[in-house]
Amino acid sequence: MPKLILKFDDRDLSECAVGTHPITIGRLPDNDLVIDNPAVSGRHARVYREGNHYVLEDLKSTNGTFVNDKPIARHTLLEGDVILVGKHTVVFTQHGGEQTEAPKEEQFVPEIGGTKVLDTRKQKHLLETLDRGRPSQMYDAVVPKTAIPTTHGRIGTIKVVSGNTGQSEYVLSAVTTMIGKADTAQIRLKGWFKPKVAAAIARKGEGFTITPMSSKLLVNGEKVTGRRALASGDLIEVSGVTLEFTLS
Amino acid sequence: MRLKVGAATSVGRVRPINEDAYLVQEDRALFVVCDGMGGAAAGEVASLLAIETIGAFVRNGALGKGTHRGFQPRTAGLGRAVEEANRAIINKAQSDSAHAGMGTTVVATWIGDGLASIAHVGDSRLYMRNASGFEALTKDHSLVEAQVQAGLIDREQSLKSEHQNILLRALGREPDLEVELGEATIAVGDRLLLCTDGLTRTVSDEALAAALDRFIGNPQAACDHLIATANENGGPDNVTAVVVEVQGSRLSSFFRRS
Repeated sequence: MPKLILKFDDRDLSECAVGTHPITIGRLPDNDLVIDNPAVSGRHARVYREGNHYVLEDLKSTNGTFVNDKPIARHTLLEGDVILVGKHTVVFTQHGGEQTEAPKEEQFVPEIGGTKVLDTRKQKHLLETLDRGRPSQMYDAVVPKTAIPTTHGRIGTIKVVSGNTGQSEYVLSAVTTMIGKADTAQIRLKGWFKPKVAAAIARKGEGFTITPMSSKLLVNGEKVTGRRALASGDLIEVSGVTLEFTLS
Repeated sequence: MRLKVGAATSVGRVRPINEDAYLVQEDRALFVVCDGMGGAAAGEVASLLAIETIGAFVRNGALGKGTHRGFQPRTAGLGRAVEEANRAIINKAQSDSAHAGMGTTVVATWIGDGLASIAHVGDSRLYMRNASGFEALTKDHSLVEAQVQAGLIDREQSLKSEHQNILLRALGREPDLEVELGEATIAVGDRLLLCTDGLTRTVSDEALAAALDRFIGNPQAACDHLIATANENGGPDNVTAVVVEVQGSRLSSFFRRS
């Protein structure tokens, strides 16, 4: 008997045999094939027998039903067809044990320079089906996940040349490293008249910048008023301490 | 450092209801703007639920210990608050079919110790205006932004694209939502603008910056002016603006004068 195999991320979640009775697919629990995801409509699609064939019909779902990447309203199912409902795939097969490989999401999402984007074919289908002038559309079959930038292999360190901060050296692992008396300050100043935050060092892509917050800030003896890029070997003087920055 | 805040929202001139929502908690220096969506499925429920959940989470001590991926505890806490809002929206959508499919964008900033912690999902934005310029501190999670980042279209084309309304991330869509976090140091004279796409699609960056400069010292007037401009330009969508101006403390301005 033909069956529908529900998959997510290449994992088989459940199966549903298709016989003479129509099969409904949707988010609500009384469907024959339940996909518990907000991107799926309550009653999303159905599959029913028509002569010797099985027909898939989209039940005017919000986010649409796709077969082999193409949006469909009604489609006669063929062996191995891959149905996309929200982020889940449903494979139609007429052979018991055999399974057809479902395309992975990554195939629609080529990586370009580390940033994932939709490929143009997918975009076109997506736009044709989803962009019907509704207020704001959400499409979550493809979600590019841009990683939070790390140090990109370059490591910034601060060595304490003079003054008391508790440690003699700091690795700038944070996105923003605060210098001051505040609890959130990583480079902790000690003393009665030290400011909560004297200056902040921020990681920007491959490099680091420093910004004075509430104290006079000197880099290599020059007064800094706005944001300044740090170069390896820079000497930072702020609120009674002298720090050396190194980028390696 | 003192914060002076203005906020305004409008249904616009086309839409029947306002699905935008904003939260201004001056005592905690927490500011949130949300753009709800889902039409009949109650976008206004999603945006309201988001600001309430984030506000409550921060009130109840979101500022945990430890950092998250190199971010300050405050930033990590704000991110957890947004994740909490996402779960709340999904739960509500699943428990009530009238709310199925609702979602919202969010842009939030939580300020303390000279640092603005930023969390965002979707195409609501946070801008910084100061002496060094006018800069968006958030990047939209939208199809056109992805296209711009990939070099498929340029910024100019993205502004004219008919596909500006396709988001790649929103609250209420999936449980394992990735909230984008950021941090920016702030100084006296800086102005932060949080807004929905109803503003950024009707008012150019230059006009946004000009309004922030024109009403310096009066962020409420800046917000009112921006909303009025969006509506003069057709008001096609709900529009919301929150402006936070960083002012010197009374004591330090006294010392500066003397």
